[in-house]
Amino acid sequence: MALFEPLQGLDQTWTLLLWWVPFIFLIFYGQRIQMWVSLSDVSRSLNKLKLMKEKSRKEAIDFVATFSKSQENLTEKIDQFLEYFTLLPVDLDPAGIVKKIEHIINVRDERVRAEIKRLVSSATDTQASNIENILEVATALNSIYKVVRHYYLLSKKTNSYFWVVQLQMVLPTVLEEAHALMGAIDAFKQSQPIGDGVGAMVVGKMMADKEKKTVAKDTVMSESECKGRVLYLIKAEGPGGNVGQPGNALTRLIEEMGIKIDAIIMIDAALKLEGEKTGEISEGVGAIIGGIGVDRFKIEEVASKHNIPLYAIAVKQSIIDAISVMKKEIAETMDKVTGIINRIIEEKTKEGNKVVVIGVGNTVGISQ
Amino acid sequence: MSLMSSLEKRLKFLVFTIEECSSCGLKTKRAFQSGDYLYKEGGECSKCRGKTRINMIYSEKAET
Repeated sequence: MALFEPLQGLDQTWTLLLWWVPFIFLIFYGQRIQMWVSLSDVSRSLNKLKLMKEKSRKEAIDFVATFSKSQENLTEKIDQFLEYFTLLPVDLDPAGIVKKIEHIINVRDERVRAEIKRLVSSATDTQASNIENILEVATALNSIYKVVRHYYLLSKKTNSYFWVVQLQMVLPTVLEEAHALMGAIDAFKQSQPIGDGVGAMVVGKMMADKEKKTVAKDTVMSESECKGRVLYLIKAEGPGGNVGQPGNALTRLIEEMGIKIDAIIMIDAALKLEGEKTGEISEGVGAIIGGIGVDRFKIEEVASKHNIPLYAIAVKQSIIDAISVMKKEIAETMDKVTGIINRIIEEKTKEGNKVVVIGVGNTVGISQ
Repeated sequence: MSLMSSLEKRLKFLVFTIEECSSCGLKTKRAFQSGDYLYKEGGECSKCRGKTRINMIYSEKAET
């Protein structure tokens, strides 16, 4: 129709502007725009990590300064400490690697303790353990920040969208871990129990009022009795932040002291899946213990060599719950876990049997 | 600054200590004090003057 003839030309122009031009533009520049959006997202997360790193560094310096007589070069020494690294042994020939890992870890622990003693000669063992834990948190946050920054800068330098996307995908998990580490600082400063110490908490209560003896580095043992069975209770020595050496303790008890054990029960915190509630308790079999694997290897080795059944009790919690101050829901699992231990002892062993109960976890704020 | 305040807000929890009397079983809840640790001997029981012991230390989210 004549009335619409001028509008038909206008329609074609609009089609060109609104459809074809953006379409061709996005074909050539679409990925760059996506990359810019992803980089902005990563940059925001990197800023959060930087803030956490700096806050943890400041907290570590302030905490150490309260114990250190000489303030000279304290910041420099702590900055140096935050850059320490540990090279694990090569695994080309894995036979005998556990012994090598143990050796490297022992050297590292001795070095760290010696450095802390140099920084704060007047600190007690408990205070030194807490300083060690805070410095470990600050070191971990420093490493996380540097690694994320490395991949961010690498992505920008190479203009690689795939580097950015991979980084973007892992950042939510990394940030959650970083938040958890930040929560740990307050707990270690105040020497408050953390969620990870639930195993130590349960066994610590069973050990109260009993004679304790040191069976391995930072690890104590008590003897008790339950329904006619002899109990050997093992946990790391608190209230300093220690994890002890339950693997060495168990090996010493069975191999060196020659005690015939009929069952081993271990209690530890375990990471919950999304949807699970904090404080849920699960039972299972096996050596429930985290860490690099040295203690787990030793416990499994001695248990399988002597044909000793291994029972596990896990108290579920998130990574944030595990390294922040112990939540009420976790603290209240004490009676339930003790009930499960008693039930396992009654069902799986006979009167006169000997049972080892190992409370796994960091003992900050948990004595015995 | 807004990142830091959201971080600090996220970390606000109140920590409590529960002391239990070994004689009468009375449980007393109080704010955590520096030096508290689990299974430490506490003060005198307010009910029977028996010995108390710290049996629980936990955190609860602060009501904002």
